[in-house]
Amino acid sequence: MLKDIRFSLRQLIKQPAFTIIAVLTVALAIGATTAVLSLVNGLLVRPLPYPDSQRLVLLLQHFKSQNLERIPVSPPEFKDYETRSHSFEKLGAFGYTSFNLAAEDRPERIAGATVTSGVLPLLGVSPIKGRFFAPEECMLGRDDVVIISARLWQHRFDSDPQIIGRKLLLNGKSFTVVGVMPANFDFPLQLFNLGSGGQFGGRAEIWKPLAFTDDQMKARYNRSFWIVGRLAPGISAAQAQAEIETINAQMRREHTDNYSQDNSFGGDVFLLQNLAAAGMRPALLILLGAVFLVVLIACANLTTMLLARAAAREREIAIRVALGAGRLRLLKQVFTESVLLSLIGGAAGVLLALWGVELLKTIGAQTVPRLREVNLDLVVLGVTLAICVGTGIIFGLAPGLASSRPELTEALKEGSRGSTVGKRRNRLRNGLVIAEVALALVLLSGAGLLIKSFARLQNVNPGFNPRNALTFEISLPKMQYPDDSSIVRFNDEARRRIAALPGVQAAGFSTILPLAGTNSDSSFAIEGRASDKNTPSPDEELREVSPDYFRALGTPLIKGRFFTAGDKADAPPVIIINQAFAKKFWPNEDALGKRIVMGGMSDNPKWITIVGIVGDMRHFGLDIDPKPEMYVPFAQSAYSTAIYVVRSNQDAQVLLAAIRREIQAIDPAVPLANVRSFENLIADSVAPRRLSVVLLGVFAGVAVLLAGVGIYGVMSFLVVQRTHELGVRMALGAQRGDVLKLVLIRSLKLISAGTIIGLIIAVMSTHTLRAMLYSVSAFDVVTFVLVTVLLGGIALAASFLPAMRATRADPMVVLTAE
Amino acid sequence: MIKLRRLERRYSLGKEKFFYVLRDINLDIAEGEFVSVMGPSGAGKSTLLHILGMHDHGWQGEYSLNDTAIHHLKPKERATLRNEQIGFVFQQYHLLDDLTVYENLEIPLSYRHYSKSERAALVADTLDRFQIVGKKDLYPRQLSGGQQQLVGVARAIIAEPKLLLADEPTGNLHSSQGEEIMELFRKLNDEGMTIVQVTHSDKSASYGKRVIQLRDGWIVNE
Ligand SMILES: Nc1ncnc2c1ncn2[C@@H]1O[C@H](COP(=O)(O)OP(=O)(O)O)[C@@H](O)[C@H]1O
Ligand SMILES: [Mg+2]
Repeated sequence: MLKDIRFSLRQLIKQPAFTIIAVLTVALAIGATTAVLSLVNGLLVRPLPYPDSQRLVLLLQHFKSQNLERIPVSPPEFKDYETRSHSFEKLGAFGYTSFNLAAEDRPERIAGATVTSGVLPLLGVSPIKGRFFAPEECMLGRDDVVIISARLWQHRFDSDPQIIGRKLLLNGKSFTVVGVMPANFDFPLQLFNLGSGGQFGGRAEIWKPLAFTDDQMKARYNRSFWIVGRLAPGISAAQAQAEIETINAQMRREHTDNYSQDNSFGGDVFLLQNLAAAGMRPALLILLGAVFLVVLIACANLTTMLLARAAAREREIAIRVALGAGRLRLLKQVFTESVLLSLIGGAAGVLLALWGVELLKTIGAQTVPRLREVNLDLVVLGVTLAICVGTGIIFGLAPGLASSRPELTEALKEGSRGSTVGKRRNRLRNGLVIAEVALALVLLSGAGLLIKSFARLQNVNPGFNPRNALTFEISLPKMQYPDDSSIVRFNDEARRRIAALPGVQAAGFSTILPLAGTNSDSSFAIEGRASDKNTPSPDEELREVSPDYFRALGTPLIKGRFFTAGDKADAPPVIIINQAFAKKFWPNEDALGKRIVMGGMSDNPKWITIVGIVGDMRHFGLDIDPKPEMYVPFAQSAYSTAIYVVRSNQDAQVLLAAIRREIQAIDPAVPLANVRSFENLIADSVAPRRLSVVLLGVFAGVAVLLAGVGIYGVMSFLVVQRTHELGVRMALGAQRGDVLKLVLIRSLKLISAGTIIGLIIAVMSTHTLRAMLYSVSAFDVVTFVLVTVLLGGIALAASFLPAMRATRADPMVVLTAE
Repeated sequence: MIKLRRLERRYSLGKEKFFYVLRDINLDIAEGEFVSVMGPSGAGKSTLLHILGMHDHGWQGEYSLNDTAIHHLKPKERATLRNEQIGFVFQQYHLLDDLTVYENLEIPLSYRHYSKSERAALVADTLDRFQIVGKKDLYPRQLSGGQQQLVGVARAIIAEPKLLLADEPTGNLHSSQGEEIMELFRKLNDEGMTIVQVTHSDKSASYGKRVIQLRDGWIVNE
């Protein structure tokens, strides 16, 4: 065995060009495979980073009649679930929040979560220092304690050994640190398609007890908390689901005011594991298919390369056979070499994958759940190793059989040209090229469709102008800004100062930004329209915005007016709606001047008058059509967090520094958080899609490259193999053009066969991409034509070199050879 | 028909050193001649023939074919001229194994300006003339050596060349088969074709009217 390996190594070193191409081929294929396997492993297969994580569930609710899916729960609903259910070892509620952490130099906004005392223990990860929250700390007045992450502990507190008991100033209030969670602890996780990112979608570094106020405990409609639970031993998610439905039925019976009596309302138990990266599953499966194709292409390539070499080594093999080498021995020799090649290539591929995975993380770590956890672990390495050995054996198979059959060797030794063996092997080689072209075309079609979708998406008009717009968040602590008027005063002043900065064209703020992953809605009633208890009142998106917000966004006014400084808290309540809203509720009327009331109808309704209609904007995603939206003046409904949009032609960094100065001048303790250009924000919103586009695009590129190399190799071999024929033809009058034509027509035949088969497979398979396409048909003719021309062109170019070489051949060499 | 003046063929042996294969060849061959080139192995016979056949271009001197100065022609023009005027027969036949007899005969025509129907007619004529109609669908390996060379000659003359060059056409054949080919040559020569052949056999040479002796690249006598 060792001798075989040494011999193989010597062979490989003796032919560096062959070895380099072979190793690169394997490296590209294995690199792609390993990267995708890492993603699949990290996002879908590997358990969440909590002990016994398959028992962790999220309990979400739905209101089917209002088209609300996967919504959070209210505190009383949580209590109902907690006290009545038995399927769970423990349930806990949590919310997303963020803290202004005071510091001498510059205050910092830090993402965090509020958790009931059960949440952290049920996750099963212990603090590395200190303790969890005690149940009594989750009561108002006692909740001035926090647990921090080891990350925060390290970079903000220099890993202070005395951290437990130390006081932090958060949101202007003092908290005592009681615990430190390990550095790799992550909770809450970002979840796909859930408006759970919080307005500040960072990784939580601070956890604070969640204590419900009495008011909160009464407000069944105020749903802003999430429930996480650990299933009791032996209980399945389905069993828990059944119990939840029983509890839902009780809730409907006991609170007839809050729930309609049909089955519209209910709770759903999801395994956390399934929810975590569920949104990436289709893309990952497609990518897995794609790398499978890449590996097949690489195998085809290596088979042809090794076959060509086996032909070149006929003499050596013949000698070995003559010396009595057995069939098995020869086979072993070939396999040793092919597996060795694939292992060397695989090692290079793993390096490639390491680099690639890091690159991917920079694309999507903010927005693709669990991407941060993705790495190359032993499981992936093991699978990669198996694939390497497997592919090594596969591509060693044909060459191995070819050289281990003594009767073939005899035939070869005679050097009889055009023997049946040679023909059969040529057929195999041709078949492999056809397969490569076909597979590459399938990949290229898929990538083409995705790229076109992505381009279409980039060109979608979101309803506002993301260019030259900067966004950031300001969150005011309750202590210093206890009431609406103080919040409004701060933000008015901040907006006035920012708007006055040089280069600023417009500045405004809102509670919710489009495409940022957050959302808020409200039910309402329309004046003069009958509302009865059994039909649910309409419910649409609601945002609180400042004057000039639309101007800063670049969203057009269609009718009426924008908000002005006059729309103060004590002014008549006004509202602006978008076109979709107007069209939905007043399809044949002018919506302007109509009145609505938030929540349900009451005896003494607080009417709000529609004063303006603005253009629609895409809120949930560039690929999702605009929905009806309502906007009320921030001054009439203030929140502690405002997200600013500043339109300016000033350099972003200079502008930002100026804005920071202005904000500090008002209140030095208030930090800017989540500073992004609007273009970056949009890029983040399509990051998961970009991830698949980039990957599939790269794989298609690799496939085309490999197919090109394959065609080059086979055509080169063909030219060598046909040296005699070409020489004779030239002697008989064939000119360069004739020879060129001869070779190119041969490769054109293979390429055409490959593209036809590839197109058939592509047409049959691109529908699997449908979910990932945007305004592009799975049978987009333009894309198919384009990729076919592209691949055909590259393939033809790859055969052009050997063809040119053939025309330069000197027939004399052939004619005078004895 | 052929006029060679001070023709030289040499191979470089590195810096400024040359190995001369042909030296100062002066030769005239008239139309209708049947010339045999003889000489020991390595004398330069094949080299001479390939120069005449315009396969080899690395020579110095003057070569005129029917008053066309070949030494002034570009490779492409030479190729055209060759296609019009010259047929070549090889010692190793050089038939294409993957093609039938019929297809082998068609090759030279496919590189000249013949229409499809002209091609078919010419191939049919030639098969007839060489009495190998029954073999037209066979592959070379299904033929005897003599039959293969028969096809080789047929292929060489199918495009109706004025000059037939043959490098040891009978070298790989039994004597009876060789005589058959030589009879064929005589017939072709009688019909007016100029023939230059390389041979080792006095018998074969006797079919021709003139013998040129080559030795170490020199013409030693006539
Ligand atoms: N490509 C070449 N490079 C160097 N020498 C060559 C080459 N081809 C032929 N020769 C030499 O030219 C001489 C004449 O060869 P050739 O014409 O084939 O001889 P002949 O046909 O008379 O046996 C030989 O000595 C041969 O070694
Ligand atoms: Mg010779």
